[in-house]
Amino acid sequence: MKPGRVIGTVTLSQGAPQFRGARWLVVSPMGREELCGKNKGLSQAATPIVYDNLGAGRGDEILYVEGAEATQPFENPILIDAINVAILDRYTFLPPDANP
Amino acid sequence: MIQARIDGYATTTVAHPSFKGQTIVLCTPVDEVGVEAGMPFAAIDPIGAGRHARVFITTDGSWTQEQVHDSMSPIRNQVIGIIDES
Repeated sequence: MKPGRVIGTVTLSQGAPQFRGARWLVVSPMGREELCGKNKGLSQAATPIVYDNLGAGRGDEILYVEGAEATQPFENPILIDAINVAILDRYTFLPPDANP
Repeated sequence: MIQARIDGYATTTVAHPSFKGQTIVLCTPVDEVGVEAGMPFAAIDPIGAGRHARVFITTDGSWTQEQVHDSMSPIRNQVIGIIDES
């Protein structure tokens, strides 16, 4: 599970039938600087496209899961690689050597 | 298994149902001498590790599914041990 900030959405005109009703988020992974609040913008990491059935919007901070576990909540096989599993309400992040 | 340091906590209300009752920690992977070694990630913490504790984390999704009693849980990371610093 990785923390990330939603920076956009994707809409498909054509898609696999399993994707009916799906929402897609463009997510900027949050690293140390972003979690500490020092960088409110984009991180340097590549931005994955994340399946969403919780209803996250742009600006929300989420947890997403990548890899085989991303397909676990589905009864039928689905071809996704990353899924939004939680929309964060609040979080604290303070490494021992950080200057608050 | 990953060695990591607990750096923070997170709360959520809109999440996969298997998060119910779980503590979510934000942690940073560390190497054998405690130097940061990668991007922060989240895990559930059923044993209650304190801030800045060094912990062991499993990334075994099927084990975590057993622990949260949900065979369709997408949760991967779980704190399974606190390293004794003394």
